[in-house]
Amino acid sequence: MSYQIPMGPFHPALEEPYKLDLICEGETVQDAKLHIGFNFRGIEHLAETRNYIQMITLMERVCGICSNIHTLTLCQALEGLTGLTPPPRAQYIRTIMAELERLHSHVLWAGIAAKLMGFKTMFMTCFELREKVMDVLQAISGNRVNYSMNRIGGVNRDIDDPNAILKMVEALELEMARTVIPIFTTSSTASSRCAGIGVLTTEKAASCGAVGPTARASGLPQDLRRSAPYAAYAEMEFDVPVQPAGDVRARLLVRALEIMESCRILRQALAKLPPGEWHAEDEKIAFITGTATSRGEAPRGEIMYSVSWKEGSRNPSRVHVRTPTFANMPAIRWMVMGARLADTPLIQASIDPCYSCTDR
Amino acid sequence: MTHTLTLLDGILERLGSTEHWVEKGGVHWLPPGSWNVRELATVMNECKARFITITGYQLPGEEGFRLEYHWDLDGQLLGFSFVLSGNTIDSIFDLCEAVDWIEREIHEGFAIDFLGREYEPLLLRQGDTPGVNLRDAVAASKERK
Repeated sequence: MSYQIPMGPFHPALEEPYKLDLICEGETVQDAKLHIGFNFRGIEHLAETRNYIQMITLMERVCGICSNIHTLTLCQALEGLTGLTPPPRAQYIRTIMAELERLHSHVLWAGIAAKLMGFKTMFMTCFELREKVMDVLQAISGNRVNYSMNRIGGVNRDIDDPNAILKMVEALELEMARTVIPIFTTSSTASSRCAGIGVLTTEKAASCGAVGPTARASGLPQDLRRSAPYAAYAEMEFDVPVQPAGDVRARLLVRALEIMESCRILRQALAKLPPGEWHAEDEKIAFITGTATSRGEAPRGEIMYSVSWKEGSRNPSRVHVRTPTFANMPAIRWMVMGARLADTPLIQASIDPCYSCTDR
Repeated sequence: MTHTLTLLDGILERLGSTEHWVEKGGVHWLPPGSWNVRELATVMNECKARFITITGYQLPGEEGFRLEYHWDLDGQLLGFSFVLSGNTIDSIFDLCEAVDWIEREIHEGFAIDFLGREYEPLLLRQGDTPGVNLRDAVAASKERK
């Protein structure tokens, strides 16, 4: 006899407003229905009542973890409507911030995944490391969560001493390589809890429109930093880790490898940081009538902003944000089908869902 | 880049379009033609383009709505615009699974009906009926205040 188990919207294993109605046969999940929108904020609509300065501040608050990529992508779209081009130094600083944010996000996810695996010591290790990444972000921006780094035509703050930041990044990389990566890639605890569960096939990942590490862990080699480079990514050498298995372990491996690739990009960007201004002259910011669209590779996958403006208007006439979790979350249904009930919290966490982005 | 241009030309051919791509605001736009959204989705599937999103716009006065569909092809962002004089358009959910949530979101936010699909359960709002244009509802509530 099948029965339904509601998980959420406020559940000890999820801790965020999202609901999974699991239809089970014994301990096996047969199907699942997903519900979001418990804290829907209507930010897109709210943005239409804000001027461009207020809008950047507002959109930074779509997400508490990947706040920087939201403003970066938004500013890129706004630059399309104003004709302002960020100077090379600003493009490098944007790249540095984006990769530090990816490091922070991936390490945070690793900690939460470790907790869900019952690997509490690893959780503490990851969160200690995350603090160090946040120290670097704070050293650059003065902030730990909403960095306020991006502006139309550049960034708000310079990196005065790239060598000092480089030393912090190298220390981080050493610690990642020494602790987080080996434990996640070789420990039997991680393997036994993650291998073969929550499988999302390549075909299903493609048809669901999965993005980011979720897609790459299902064998789809998509990464906007490579296919449609923005900021200074065209000048960086890096690999796009892809794993074909599509299970939780593959998603874990992809993120672990991406941590090392982020460190590699950071080292290059800090070493090659070009001299000069870090923002365009902005005495006059004038918007043209039209719609501009921009995309970026957030830690969880592709993010897209579409902004429409009418010349002379104080506010945008439309702002649309497509967040990565909004694209990835429907795939959870296919991941949990056939899984053991006890594995579902870890499976749903394996896409690194952001409910704040989803309920934007 | 040459490969992408070939792919873009291939789309024109498959759609039977005499128009040309226009690159604007970071997107390759194809001006509206005689094809409908389902024919477009079929061609996008054939080209192995990746669906990204739909952006809904409410046009001024009684002009209706505009929906902009976006696909990614080889790193290029493609855009297709459809103006709706009423509030209905064919769903492409059966052709492209990835549109599910965004069609539901637009249905709940703009009261646009995507024909040929079901919406339940509600995606963004709980305990209310769909088919309400939230923008109009917000504007009306402000007027009442």
